[in-house]
Amino acid sequence: MEDQKPQEQAPFGQPPFGQQPFGQQPFGNPAPKNWLVESILVTLFCCLPFGIAGIVNAANVNSKHAAGDYAGAQAASAAAGKWTKIGFFVGIGVGVLYILFFVVLGLGGAMMGNYR
Amino acid sequence: MKLLYILGSIVLLSLVVIYYKFNPEVYNFFPECPFHKYLHLDCPGCGSQRAIHALLHLNVQKAMGYNLLLVLSLPLLAVQLFSKAYAYFTNQNMVLGFWYNPNTPKIIFVIVMLFWIARNLPYTPFSYLAA
Repeated sequence: MEDQKPQEQAPFGQPPFGQQPFGQQPFGNPAPKNWLVESILVTLFCCLPFGIAGIVNAANVNSKHAAGDYAGAQAASAAAGKWTKIGFFVGIGVGVLYILFFVVLGLGGAMMGNYR
Repeated sequence: MKLLYILGSIVLLSLVVIYYKFNPEVYNFFPECPFHKYLHLDCPGCGSQRAIHALLHLNVQKAMGYNLLLVLSLPLLAVQLFSKAYAYFTNQNMVLGFWYNPNTPKIIFVIVMLFWIARNLPYTPFSYLAA
């Protein structure tokens, strides 16, 4: 594996930076991650509408990439990732807080029982 | 990365056991959606916990009653999971082109919004969608 690395790092035939390779569609660049599946999961399982923002940004990623706007697609990808992660962690946070609250109340109730 | 996968599957497995054993309709230690708690409206994800409980008991019809969109999205998510697993185990870089079609997120967005609105309408054909 190690001796193959230099070949992987310098693919020849690489177009000059910032230039669309001739005769190739904008699909020459792979689309940046659009977070669509993750946003759907957040929308359906995290109970919070943050996933919707993720889906909207996923739409931006795909349409901008199809239009050849690679920088715009990458910005939309970053935004989609941000919203999806916010939704994911807020969902987990609410769940953990809820369970902590439940445990604390339960322990409090048990302790109260001893005092009586 | 491998540790993350192992940890993730442990968490997932314990969640499956919890959601199989306890019915969210009966036990109150399951977190309630803040959107539903404070606005008394259903969001697109409301009913998911009960739907998962029903699905784990192989009661698809009951699960559809709790959250139709969740049940309908499962085949799609299963395809994605399968392709991810295939890519992971064969070390291939496999991406489903379907997700990168410019129309896919728009259609999904419209479906989710329509579902969100429809399940909050108090009229007969739509109230079946409520959680």
